[in-house]
Amino acid sequence: MPHKCTKCGREYNDGSTEILRGCASCGGKKFLYVKEEEINKDVLEEKSIEEIADESKEEVLEIVEKPTTRKKEVEMYDRVETIRIVSPGSYELNLEKMVKSDERIVSVGKEGSYIIDLVSMAKEEPKKKARKK
Amino acid sequence: MKIFYQTFGTAKKKFSNFLNSFFKKKRTRIGIYGPPNAGKTTLANRIARDWTGDAVGPVSEIPHETRRARKKEDIIISGANGSVVTMDIVDTPGVTTKIDYHEFLEFGMEKDEAIIRAREATEGVAEAMHWLREDIDGVIYMLDSTLDPFMQVNIMMIGIIESRNLPVIIVANKIDLADAAPARIRSAFPQHPVVAISGLEGRNVEDLYETMIEYFG
Repeated sequence: MPHKCTKCGREYNDGSTEILRGCASCGGKKFLYVKEEEINKDVLEEKSIEEIADESKEEVLEIVEKPTTRKKEVEMYDRVETIRIVSPGSYELNLEKMVKSDERIVSVGKEGSYIIDLVSMAKEEPKKKARKK
Repeated sequence: MKIFYQTFGTAKKKFSNFLNSFFKKKRTRIGIYGPPNAGKTTLANRIARDWTGDAVGPVSEIPHETRRARKKEDIIISGANGSVVTMDIVDTPGVTTKIDYHEFLEFGMEKDEAIIRAREATEGVAEAMHWLREDIDGVIYMLDSTLDPFMQVNIMMIGIIESRNLPVIIVANKIDLADAAPARIRSAFPQHPVVAISGLEGRNVEDLYETMIEYFG
């Protein structure tokens, strides 16, 4: 028994693994099992596949994509490091953090590896001078 | 009438604050510092248990278990000669200059979890240093006496503590282990009192309490 894409009507053979990636023509994710003899019913009766699905009470096969596991990268202002060495000679500077304090934390590579400058953290915060008018 | 009470209340508060500023002695705040896995939380727990019957935080063999500073207030320590000191103990995250999530993987931790731990540990170092800058009156510097005391981070931290003129007691911990060498720590830091203890077994902690009263009292 073949399937048909509910969006564009493209036919796929039974057991086709192609549909697991979505419809090759329109990218649709829903497919309907149709009987061999009714394969052209939608064209002959000028019905949409969805209408046929309602009539035939056949279950619509839906391809559910796995939620992408790639984690969202931590935004710049949420980062702990002031300087990131992306690769030798390539740096990212966290200006917001640099403005706020003299603390210097360097991260190496993508994430989870840090070098901490303790002396920069031991310095007293500069006292704000009262502005004279 | 209501206004009168409000004004009276405010005045009373102000007056009591004024009196407090004269009579209420500021408590000594002692920070327990040291590299990761030196036994800081184990000691903090022991001090809290011995003098308040309470605990401070969980311990683990994986470095950087303590990633936020924890404070235990109003610990009253009394010495053999009857002298009494009230102090707040701050258990701080392990201070180090390098944190890499790979070291946590060796303990069977998942990569994602290890990366988060590394990030939190880094924030922990910053927090520990913040306390040292702002709010600490004395330092207990913990060292694992099975390890080389001449690590860069120890020399740097003792230097920083000295530059801030804070009294420091160096604790040579883990003397219950066979390869402990507290003498090595004594010769490394001859300018400061060194007390050898086992925080885990409680060995020699009485000595530490006496030294604390002497130096922080």
